[in-house]
Amino acid sequence: MAPKQRLLYLSAQSTDPRSIAISQALHEPVRGTIVEIDPTKTGLDYESVHDAICDGWRVVHFPDQRGSLEGSEVEVFGYQFVLEKIEEFND
Amino acid sequence: MTSVSGVSTQYLLNDDQVADFVISGYHVVEPQFPAEFHAQVYSELEALLTNPGDDINKAVPKIDEVYGHPVVAGALASLLGSDYTRAAHRHCHKNHPGTRSQAWHQDSLNIPTISEGHGRVSDHVQSVLVMYYPQNVASNMGPTALIPGSHLFTAAGDRNASHGNFKDQIVAVVPAGSMLILHYDIWHAGTANTSDQIRYMVKYLFEPASEPNLPSWNHDASNDAHIFERLERDEAALMQRSLVSKRNFRRTTMWNNLAGDAGLKYKYRDKWSGEWPQPNR
Repeated sequence: MAPKQRLLYLSAQSTDPRSIAISQALHEPVRGTIVEIDPTKTGLDYESVHDAICDGWRVVHFPDQRGSLEGSEVEVFGYQFVLEKIEEFND
Repeated sequence: MTSVSGVSTQYLLNDDQVADFVISGYHVVEPQFPAEFHAQVYSELEALLTNPGDDINKAVPKIDEVYGHPVVAGALASLLGSDYTRAAHRHCHKNHPGTRSQAWHQDSLNIPTISEGHGRVSDHVQSVLVMYYPQNVASNMGPTALIPGSHLFTAAGDRNASHGNFKDQIVAVVPAGSMLILHYDIWHAGTANTSDQIRYMVKYLFEPASEPNLPSWNHDASNDAHIFERLERDEAALMQRSLVSKRNFRRTTMWNNLAGDAGLKYKYRDKWSGEWPQPNR
């Protein structure tokens, strides 16, 4: 067993961590695993970044507040927070 | 280019259906064929030893019958005009068991058969993708996923590569014979096939031949206020608020580009007059 970093990408409706999450991607620290769109799943694991924090996730990256400004040529969906949890995993 | 005109008005879309397409970027049709028809198409696809590419319709001629069905032609004529054309590019996607999910993407613009080429068109309908599924598609068979309303926005795919599931994504779990008509710029992806069955999806492209002067669908001008309100207020998928005004402007511009001289007339209206908010309880 070894402590390893789980990564959760949560895109939110705004830079407010209590705003509604619009997408998620969970990266597990296990070789060979991939992140895919899961067509069998409905909804997300967390309603908001704050909801994930309440479940023990720590924010390690806050979204750039310059993203998706009105008139911007580049339109990215949501404001992305990156969160981590350190947990024990088998090698 | 092949012109495929001539459609009875009974198969044309109505105002709300066209508004749905402008708002969400997709429309589903289920042309009626005998029960065994799509199974035959599936068998003929299974028998192909190589990928015929653009010639998929020559290799399996029944597919042209599907795309020529009046329900399909009616929807296409409504969105592209009755003189719409079929692009030379076609493709059959063979999604084997074990195929992994694609990343969210907009289809490439590097397709020479798109007439004269065009960039992303967020306020008009310059091309549509029409996907045909000859078998039932269950959620574990790699159904096409899409983000409704995302055809109004553009970005490099790698800018959006860290998204996995979207809260409001749509997954095309559909019966055999279903067809998905998509705005060319909608963000979509083929998902993982974790079943033990091959999932086929045949894709054709269609384009308008001319700019519309009038709506090519069953339009009733008395619906204009209702449609204008829908274009302003209907949610397709949750997104950041800073994009909402841009989204609404592109929706109304797209509608007006499709409607020609019958486009919505902008005029000031006071949206806030009326009842005061109720006291908090």
